[in-house]
Amino acid sequence: MYELRGVTKRYTRGKDVVHALDGVDLTIGDGDRLVIQGPTGGGKSTLLQMLGGLDRPTSGEVVLDGTDLAELPEARLTRVRSENIGFVFQSFNLIPTLTAQENVETALVPLGIKAADRRERAAEALKSVGLGERLGHLPSELSGGQQQRVAIARALVKQPKVLLADEPTGNLDESMRDEIMDVLERMWKEHGLTFVMVTHDSALAKKAPRLATIRKGRITVTEKTGA
Amino acid sequence: MFFTYLRRELRRRRKAALVVASGLALGIALVIVVNSVSNGMGRAQEKVLQSLYGLGTDMTVTKAATPASGDAQRPRFRFEAKDDDSEDKQSSDRVMAQGFTTLPASTVTEVAGQKGVSSAVGGLSLNVVKVSGQFTRGQFQQGDGGVEMRGKPGAGPRYRIEGGGADFDVNMYTVYGTDVTQPALGPLTSSEITSGRTFKTTETNAKVAVADAAYAKEKKLRTGSTVTIKGATYEVIGIATASSGDAAANLYIPLKQAQKLSGEKDKVTTVYVKATDSQQIGAVKSAIRKNVPGTTVTTSADLAKTVSGSLSTAADLAAGVGKWLSIAVLVAAFLVAGLLTSSAVSRRVREFGTLKALGWKSGRVTRQVVGEAVVNGLVGGVLGIALGLAGAYVVTAVSPTLQAQLGGSGGGPGGPGGGGAFLAGPGRQAAKSLEVALTAPVSATTIALAVGLAVAGGLIAGAFGGWRASRLRPADALRRVE
Ligand SMILES: Nc1ncnc2c1ncn2[C@@H]1O[C@H](COP(=O)(O)OP(=O)(O)OP(=O)(O)O)[C@@H](O)[C@H]1O
Ligand SMILES: [Mg+2]
Repeated sequence: MYELRGVTKRYTRGKDVVHALDGVDLTIGDGDRLVIQGPTGGGKSTLLQMLGGLDRPTSGEVVLDGTDLAELPEARLTRVRSENIGFVFQSFNLIPTLTAQENVETALVPLGIKAADRRERAAEALKSVGLGERLGHLPSELSGGQQQRVAIARALVKQPKVLLADEPTGNLDESMRDEIMDVLERMWKEHGLTFVMVTHDSALAKKAPRLATIRKGRITVTEKTGA
Repeated sequence: MFFTYLRRELRRRRKAALVVASGLALGIALVIVVNSVSNGMGRAQEKVLQSLYGLGTDMTVTKAATPASGDAQRPRFRFEAKDDDSEDKQSSDRVMAQGFTTLPASTVTEVAGQKGVSSAVGGLSLNVVKVSGQFTRGQFQQGDGGVEMRGKPGAGPRYRIEGGGADFDVNMYTVYGTDVTQPALGPLTSSEITSGRTFKTTETNAKVAVADAAYAKEKKLRTGSTVTIKGATYEVIGIATASSGDAAANLYIPLKQAQKLSGEKDKVTTVYVKATDSQQIGAVKSAIRKNVPGTTVTTSADLAKTVSGSLSTAADLAAGVGKWLSIAVLVAAFLVAGLLTSSAVSRRVREFGTLKALGWKSGRVTRQVVGEAVVNGLVGGVLGIALGLAGAYVVTAVSPTLQAQLGGSGGGPGGPGGGGAFLAGPGRQAAKSLEVALTAPVSATTIALAVGLAVAGGLIAGAFGGWRASRLRPADALRRVE
């Protein structure tokens, strides 16, 4: 359960001040799915960073299950990220020198899980996204869609509460987009995740039951009842 | 995960790792070569010093320099020009103590009694000048040619002296009177008996001699031959080969015999001193100076200062230019390694940002970067040690010859007594010059230093990279760079 109140993020570059987020209020219930869209530079990624505890707002509260991430000390914020939040990035962000399985394992490293368990859970997570045969492959030996599936496995292997995806299909061609969206949708349902996704894909946005649009740091949420 | 990730990074980004490692390797190799060459210089100097007074001598005691003692002690040769035209050869041996100055033998016991002195042994260095030849009286003859002796210019008859003068050889050699009861100390220890035997400790007054190999070859001496010094005949019992190629004396005889020959009863020219603790040489030196008046104490360090020639030039170069060059290259290598590591981190901003976004603690990411850098450093160390060993091996294989002049620039050599006699060593009045081959022995300390430097280099590079990595934010995972 997310409760955002008056979240503002300002970036200062010399004399220029950019209001990436400007007083955002937003509630996301457990197990909800929220799609965020908006023009480029609107503040979508910035909002996702606030939700994921990757950065702190300049002002306002980002409360996750009763804890204000904005106030949390770095060490505890790191723990929240490692335990509760799964991230999927537009450009996959896999470690190029590690195999698919090792990449998935990196998500379990901060949890202090033994190497053997780590390997087993990583293999299982990869199997669930259809990559059971590619455990030992390097990212460079996988297609874009396969790489993103490794990234999804990495985000979900620790069984987080929240899955945040920043344009997960942005770097993929059309045939792979649907494939990845199917995987994400299935995972959301299977794991009972709170799922927040940024997308430029208006077709996707139209289908979404709850749609947030961010322009110049300001958010508007449209609910589609009964969709 | 730490090691898996480390291994993968190093294997898959081998080129980047090698660039960092080779930079460090170069610096480390240079340190090894410079260090080893310096070691070699040290050894060469030691060899030079050893050739003067043997192994194990920490310092020598000689008579303090006194104002020139006048003509009284100068050698005189007496030849009589005979009236008849005889073909008889005449010869005359002058046996003089080196530098014309001696110390009473009691000085040896006095020195031996000083605190910190392990043992002291006296020796008498002698110069023998042998002049032999024919002398005939010149004859005046009137006539042309020959050597003309003009009377008043343009007037009077011409005369010439015919056949007058001398035909003689001057043969100089050196004799060292050694204390046969103490074979462990003194100049003879730097030579190896290559034929026959050395003195027995009982041969304190025996008419036996050990000849230096080079001199023996020149004079066709061998074990069993005899030599005559000032009318006394000695049996050659052994041939000694100097380990550094230059012997302290041409002939060695028992001390008592040397004293007898030179008329320096109970006298020595030099006392060779071995200290109980080589770290305490300074203290022993001042103790002797204080308690045994009228002496000059010269330590090997004092002597080393007087070494000149290409050896000392090279030693200065190794100590100066070589040292600074290797420090400069090392610093540069450390810096380059640091900057390369740092820039490698910059290229991996997204990677490390992602790990932080996944919940990796900053310390874990930093540790990974430092770990990679240290391994790079170690690889550099291994390469550097290999390269350095190869370099040192080449120097040793080529073994360039260096000249060493001893005492050439010092104040005393050649002068009577004092340090001069010491510096010149038994057998030489003037500055001593010898050749030594330069080697570059690699010591365990040098290797340890290289390993230390490799680790330090890795840590420095790691500090650069680690600092950079620690400042990355998890939000950098979303950076669009790359
Ligand atoms: N680290 C930063 N420093 C300065 N300005 C920043 C920084 N990150 C984002 N901004 C600015 O904040 C604004 C919002 O950026 P954000 O990345 O959230 O936009 P976005 O909606 O994700 O755009 P896009 O669709 O192109 O990804 C932009 O004007 C951007 O230039
Ligand atoms: Mg964005």
